[in-house]
Amino acid sequence: MSAVVLNRLLRAPDEIAAACREDRDVRAIAATSLVALAVGAAVFGGVIGSFRGGVQIAYAALKVPFAMMATLALCVPAFHAIAAGLGRAFPLRVIVALALAAAGRAALVLLAVAPLLWLTFDRGLGYHAAALASALAYAAAGAAAFSVLVRGLGGGEGRVLTAVAFAAVFFAVGGQTSWILRPYLIRPRTWAAASQHAQKIPFLRAYEGSFADSLYKSSRSARDVYDEEGSR
Amino acid sequence: MQAPAFSIEGVFPPPSRDVTDSDVPPPAAPGDALAASAVPPMPAPPPPLPLPPSWTANLLAVDAELSPRREATRFGVGLGLAALYGLALGAREGRLAFLAHAAGVPAALLVAFGVGIPALYIFLALVDAPVAVAAVAAAATRATATAGLVLAGLAPAAALFVVTSERPGAAALAAGVGLAVGGAFGLGNVVSDLRRSVEGARAPVRVAADLAFGVFGLFAVIVALRVWMSLLPVLGGVQ
Repeated sequence: MSAVVLNRLLRAPDEIAAACREDRDVRAIAATSLVALAVGAAVFGGVIGSFRGGVQIAYAALKVPFAMMATLALCVPAFHAIAAGLGRAFPLRVIVALALAAAGRAALVLLAVAPLLWLTFDRGLGYHAAALASALAYAAAGAAAFSVLVRGLGGGEGRVLTAVAFAAVFFAVGGQTSWILRPYLIRPRTWAAASQHAQKIPFLRAYEGSFADSLYKSSRSARDVYDEEGSR
Repeated sequence: MQAPAFSIEGVFPPPSRDVTDSDVPPPAAPGDALAASAVPPMPAPPPPLPLPPSWTANLLAVDAELSPRREATRFGVGLGLAALYGLALGAREGRLAFLAHAAGVPAALLVAFGVGIPALYIFLALVDAPVAVAAVAAAATRATATAGLVLAGLAPAAALFVVTSERPGAAALAAGVGLAVGGAFGLGNVVSDLRRSVEGARAPVRVAADLAFGVFGLFAVIVALRVWMSLLPVLGGVQ
């Protein structure tokens, strides 16, 4: 863990990206980013879990860093292959360092927004608004991470396409990974039902559907079209 | 006489970090020091360093000369990498599905490039396009290696989707997206390589070559779809 690297992660993403690309200081960058990722994501997860409180704080504090790390582990081989296929055959360690640096920066953004989010939850934010606020925080963190990734690609042909491909892979894999680790916030309806039957909220939800199904269903419910359970 | 031992490292040597002449800045001329003492020097930004060497860069490198052994190995490595994507798809059903998918995914590359590329070369030769057999063969093996590499890179993500999606349709969609992306990389690679070869040709030849590339692309897509939908259980093929 290096305060200098943390400072560079926040203030000089260009420099960090160039160091990763040129295979300089990658050990220090990777180690610091990993610590930032673990701490930042755990704190953010804890805040998400505080929407419901109790054991859910610990659950979410474990699940959010795990989801981010699993997403990285699954995305890095794809980033490596896509970059090589589009003319940037970086060594795998360069892609690993770049992805970790990007995730570390994202986690620092999550750490920064966590107190604000906690305050809004404490002031009685509703479920849907809480979900939206959390998604916005993720989006801000994603933008911070993306800026490191794009800079890390350097100049030249195919940069935008590579960056878009990275974003698409990250969004799909991150979405699915987070989706299988639900619940985070806990819907009031679920909480009420569990309380009524003296049941505990599980660490993970039952196996059902997929992230894509969930997006489809949410897009329909946003238009006030509700599918009956079991109709599929 | 015993043949030398064959190894992947022999064909795709591991990276070396040797400093070359081009990496070392030239020595300063004597007059430069005098000029520097008169005007305070502005620190020049360091030139961007070349990318570190990698196994992947070597696998996809464009060679000056064709080596049949290297091209055959590159083709084999590409198919092997594509088989990794098949293994990931097989994780949904397990057991024999691993084998079925591991064989089915590279089979489409084998058929599309193995059958389509010779036909493409014959057509290009008929219209007198300036493309050598060696260049076509190298483009095909590079394309296979690129497609295989992309598919292998997507394999962990594909395993996540096919294992954690409840509906078979969602798993098939995820598998299909990965196959389409890998195939597009391979197809794009072979066409862009060969188009560079005909850039200097006469306009009618270029038009005929572009037409051939278009027909080849269509053929490759249809054949790949046919093979994958027949052989891959996750896409509803042989169970």
